Amino acid sequence: MAIINQATKELQVKIVYYGPAMGGKTTNLVQVHDHVQTAAGNKGKLVSLATSSDRTLFFDFLPIEAMTIRGFKTKFQLYTVPGQVIYNTTRQLVLRGVDGIVFVADSQFEKMPENVESFQNLMDNLQSLKLNLHDIPYVLQYNKRDLPNVAPMEYMEFLLNNREVQVPSFSATAHRCEGVFETLNMITRLLLHKFINQSVPQYA
Amino acid sequence: MATLPQITEEDIQKLDETLREFNTSADATVSLIIDKAGFLITHQGDSDEFDLTTIAALASGAFMANQTIAGLVSETTFNSTYQQGENQSLFVTNVDDHCLLVVIFKSDTGVGVVKYYAITAVKRIARQLKIARKRAPDESLDLSMLNVADTQYFFRKKEKEPGGKKRQ
Repeated sequence: MAIINQATKELQVKIVYYGPAMGGKTTNLVQVHDHVQTAAGNKGKLVSLATSSDRTLFFDFLPIEAMTIRGFKTKFQLYTVPGQVIYNTTRQLVLRGVDGIVFVADSQFEKMPENVESFQNLMDNLQSLKLNLHDIPYVLQYNKRDLPNVAPMEYMEFLLNNREVQVPSFSATAHRCEGVFETLNMITRLLLHKFINQSVPQYA
Repeated sequence: MATLPQITEEDIQKLDETLREFNTSADATVSLIIDKAGFLITHQGDSDEFDLTTIAALASGAFMANQTIAGLVSETTFNSTYQQGENQSLFVTNVDDHCLLVVIFKSDTGVGVVKYYAITAVKRIARQLKIARKRAPDESLDLSMLNVADTQYFFRKKEKEPGGKKRQ
């Protein structure tokens, strides 16, 4: 849960990038880290707990300090989860205290079953933490749109965004930084909407 | 999911006082109170050489992973981890359902001393958090004046000059 620290005048928010293995979650964080425009010292180190073959083992972590809102410094902590099926316990740990989620789907046709499975896994893991996806701001990112074998956006919307309330979705080519900031800004916007609408926000 | 209590400036002062006394007694370099989601709540000590934001995120992840492993081997009393280093060591102990105490100390300081004084410190921290939890929230962050439409460019991408050079 977000921390609003009245003592240090800070708002801390946790955003988790979720999705199937090799979908581009880590690439999103790398691109944000490399291209974000921040004041000196406001961008932390990108920490990756990865295997020797660069697959995420535990999580990637990027702290960024953004603009000040009414005297409060806003600190965003961006996490990714390991996508591989065997690391489900790790995904549950990283989801603890999540405020917003970016679901990074792989647009390649043959990856559709993995996308659907990963989304179902997200809902299951939230349920195990007594959380409900409908209570948490989230956005969808359809990544790898530069590849030749991608599914149409409408088809991906039908598979992943076919609920009572449709959430914002973005096409992206994360390795070229296309769609990365649009996605991040939208989840930020949804999170701030949520804080504004909450009568009693979270404190620390 | 249970949440953290409202913590006021007075709470932070008392938590900091506990940490300062603990650092002196246990000869700790720096001690931190962190949320189990990885957020740093407060810290005391000589922290210049440490990236405390990252340490908080990694320490909470490592603690939760170890706790899960302990559960898998039917160990139900798990409440601390100890990383022994050549120069600096790290001790992480449970405070309550939401928080952890992280202690960085010189390796020539015995972990026994740290553990001994941590018992009292943890009790004081937990007590202060309990007081905070009982207190009715009477302050809030007023974000209502914020024009959320402006957050479209909350995070801006660095732009490049037509020639490919980055702007100064």
